[in-house]
Amino acid sequence: MRAVAICLTLAAGLLTAHPFAQGVTAHAFLAQEATATAAAATLTPQEKRGKQIYVQGTTAAGREVLAYVGDASIEVPGSTLPCAGCHGLDGQGKPEGGVVPSNLSWEILTKPYEVTQASGRKRPPYTERALEFAITRGLDPGGNKLHPAMPSYQMAREDLADLVAYLKRVGQDRDPGLTEKSITVGTIVPTRGELSGVGQAIRATLTAFFDEVNSRGGIYNRKVELKFIETADTPAATAASLRRSLQDEQVFALAGAFTSGADSEIAALADELDVPVIGPLTLSPQTARPLNRHVFYLLSGLEEQARALVSYASQKLQGDKSGVLVVYPESELSAGVIAAVKDQCLKNGCGPVETEGYRRAQFDAQGLAVKLGKTGKQVVLFLGAGGEAIALMKEADKLNWSPAVYLPVAGGSGIMEAPLSFNRKIYLAFPTSPSDQTGDGVGEFRALAAKYNLPKTHLATQLSVMGAAKILVEALKRAGKDVSREKLIETLEGFNQFATGLTPAVTYGPNRRIGASGAYVVTIDLEKKEYLSASGWVDVD
Amino acid sequence: MRVKFILALALAALIVFGPVPCGANPSAAGQAQRKAQRQKAARYECPMHPEVTSRRPGKCPKCGMALRPAKNNGPAQTAGAVAVEASPPAEGAAEASALRIPDATVYNQNGRRLNFYTDLVKGKVVAINFIFTTCTTICPPLTATFRRVQSELGEHVGRDIELISVSVDPVTDTPERLFDFAAKFKAGPGWTFVTGDQAEIDSLLQAFGVAVANKNDHTPTILIGNDATGHWTRAYGLASPTTLVKAITEAAGYK
Repeated sequence: MRAVAICLTLAAGLLTAHPFAQGVTAHAFLAQEATATAAAATLTPQEKRGKQIYVQGTTAAGREVLAYVGDASIEVPGSTLPCAGCHGLDGQGKPEGGVVPSNLSWEILTKPYEVTQASGRKRPPYTERALEFAITRGLDPGGNKLHPAMPSYQMAREDLADLVAYLKRVGQDRDPGLTEKSITVGTIVPTRGELSGVGQAIRATLTAFFDEVNSRGGIYNRKVELKFIETADTPAATAASLRRSLQDEQVFALAGAFTSGADSEIAALADELDVPVIGPLTLSPQTARPLNRHVFYLLSGLEEQARALVSYASQKLQGDKSGVLVVYPESELSAGVIAAVKDQCLKNGCGPVETEGYRRAQFDAQGLAVKLGKTGKQVVLFLGAGGEAIALMKEADKLNWSPAVYLPVAGGSGIMEAPLSFNRKIYLAFPTSPSDQTGDGVGEFRALAAKYNLPKTHLATQLSVMGAAKILVEALKRAGKDVSREKLIETLEGFNQFATGLTPAVTYGPNRRIGASGAYVVTIDLEKKEYLSASGWVDVD
Repeated sequence: MRVKFILALALAALIVFGPVPCGANPSAAGQAQRKAQRQKAARYECPMHPEVTSRRPGKCPKCGMALRPAKNNGPAQTAGAVAVEASPPAEGAAEASALRIPDATVYNQNGRRLNFYTDLVKGKVVAINFIFTTCTTICPPLTATFRRVQSELGEHVGRDIELISVSVDPVTDTPERLFDFAAKFKAGPGWTFVTGDQAEIDSLLQAFGVAVANKNDHTPTILIGNDATGHWTRAYGLASPTTLVKAITEAAGYK
C-alpha cells in the first residue's frame, strides 16, 4: 500500500513541471515515509471509528449516517452508499460505468497547487474543513459541485471528525494482524475432555506446517505467527473469548479452527469483526442466505451430505415419484437437514417428501417400524443415531419391509450389525475419501509428520487442518504482497478446483462457501462386512 | 399528440435522450415478416440525424427538422438488431413493439420463472435499468433513483407501469441475491429484478444495446418504453427522478 502511495506521489511529482510543486512533493514523500514507519500502520481509536464509517457507513456509537443522492436528494441510509463502495478500501477509486471516483489519498487531496480533474473541474487544495464541506455539502474547495454520483452525507459532528481523521490515513493502514514482517493467523482449539486430543492435533499440525512455511522465507517475506484460542464451556463463552483474542491480539484470519458447536456464534463474530475464517472443522457449515462472506468451509456438512444422498436416490429412482420418507429425532439439527432434503427433492424431482418425527427419549423401534412399514415407502432417510437405525432396521426386517435406508447423520462400525435383508440397501455419505489424497499431498504430509513428530491419532483432523492451511497460504500468495482481508476474500472467491492433495478439490465463488460441496455415496456389503462405493463424487452445488 | 410527445422529449433534455430508432427486423415468422414490410413502408427519418427514425411523420427531437420518408429500406440500426429470439407479435395491434425484445426466460427476485417480453413488457409502459448486486459505485445511486421514481409514480407502478432491473451479472446474481438487494432499497410491488441463464440475459442486453464485455463497464442507462405505442427512449440513469418520472408519464401518455 505504501509502495503504491509513494509511486503515485512520485508520478505526480514527475508530471508536474512546476519546480516548487516538485520540491513540496518530495518533502511530502519524506514526511509520509516517516509517519508510515513510525505509526506502523496501526490506527488510533478515532481513526478506527472513522474507518467503520468509511467502510460500512455506520458509526461505532450507533448514530445515524444518512446519504442524499443526486439533485433530488434522495435519502438513503449511509450503509447503502459507504465511501468505500466507490472510492475503494484503499481510497484510490473504483471506476465503473464511466464514473471515475476521485482518489482520496490525503497527499493527493492536499497537493499545494490547483488541481485539474479529468472532467476539467479545477480546485484548490483540500483542508480538513474543506473535506468536511465536500462530504456534507457536495462542494469542492473551489465551490464547484462534485460529481452527481457523489452523495452528500449527514452525520454527527464527532462522527464527521472521525471520518476525516481516517481519510487522512486511508490507503496507508493495514488490516489487523498484518505488518511488513509478519502475518498473524489464529485458530480455535478444544482443550478439555475427550476433544483435547483433537485440540493437540490441530495445534501440532498448524505449528509444524507454518514453521515449514516460515523456514522457507514465509509469505512475501512475512513470517506467519500463530495464535491459539481455546474453546470455552458454552458457545457464547467461546465466542466471547474469541472476540477478545481477535481484538487484542490482532489476528488477520483464522484457519483450521475447531468451531463445532459454536458455528453460528463464530460465523456471526467473523462477519462483525471482518475476519476471514478458512476451513473451520465442523459438520454444520453456516450457509443460510444472505451468505456470510467471511467463512470458507472445506467440506460438506450434514445438510450437503443429505443433499448428495437425495440426489443419488432420485437418480436411482429414475422417475419413480413415489417419494421419500424422512424419519428424524426432534432436534435443531434435524430441522436444517429436513429443509435441505426437501429443497434437494424439489430440485431433483424425487416426489413428495413425508416426514415422521420421534423423541429421542421415547424411541420405540418396534412401534415406529409398524407405523412406517404401512406407508410401504421404498426410500427412507433416517436422521437419527446409528444405534437407532440398527434397531429400526431389525424391526422392519421382522415385518419383511426392507426399504433403501439413507443415513446422512449416522455412521460408525455398528452399522455392520444391520439385518442381511438390508444388504447393499444402506447408503452413507462421506464428504471426503482416500481417493482425494494425491501422492504429492500425502508425501508432503508424511514428511511433515516425520519431521515434526505429529501425533499418530486424529489423522482426519490433521489432514483437514493442513488442507485449510494450504488454502490460506495459496490465497495469500495469489492475493499478493499488498494483501488485505477484503483481497483475501476476493481471491478465495476465485478458487476453482484448487487441489490441496488431501481433501477434495475446492471451488469457491461469490455464492459458494463450501469448497467441496457434495459427497461420496457408499453402500455396505453386509455379508463381507465392507464398504462399497455406490457412486463417485455427487456434486450438490 | 405524437408531435407533442416528441417535442416534450426534446425539452426534457437535462439528460442525454436518444430516441431508440423504431425499425423492423425481418423475422422468420411469416406474420412478423408482413408486419415488418408494413413498417418498412412507413419509416421516417431525420435528414440530419439518420439515427432518428419514426413510423410516423413528425419532427426530429434533436434538431426540430421535419422527418422525411426513409430512403434506405434496409433494417434500421436498431439496438435489437442482433437479438436472438423474436418477440411474439402484439395481438391484433397495428403497431408492434418498436424495439425487438426477446421473450427470454428469466427469474425474478422471488425465484419465479418469467418470460421477459410476455410477462413484463407486453402492453405495458416500462422503465428498465441494468444493475448487478456486487456493484458498489453506480448501482446504489441508480437503484435509489429508481426507488424514488417508484414512489413518485405511486399506484401506477405495478398496474400499468412496470419497473425492471436487469442483472448484468446473472452468474453471481441469484434470485436470493436480487431479493436482498431489492429489500435493501425497499423496492415495492411492480418493480421486478431479473436474472437468468447467461445466454438468456445476454440476448436481452444485446437487444437493449447495453451488452458489455466487462460488467464494470456497464453504462447507467435507463430504457423507457411503451410497448403498446412502440416508442422507446433512453435516459441517463443518474438523472434526477423528476426527469425520469416525466419521461415515463409522457411515454405512458398521461399528460
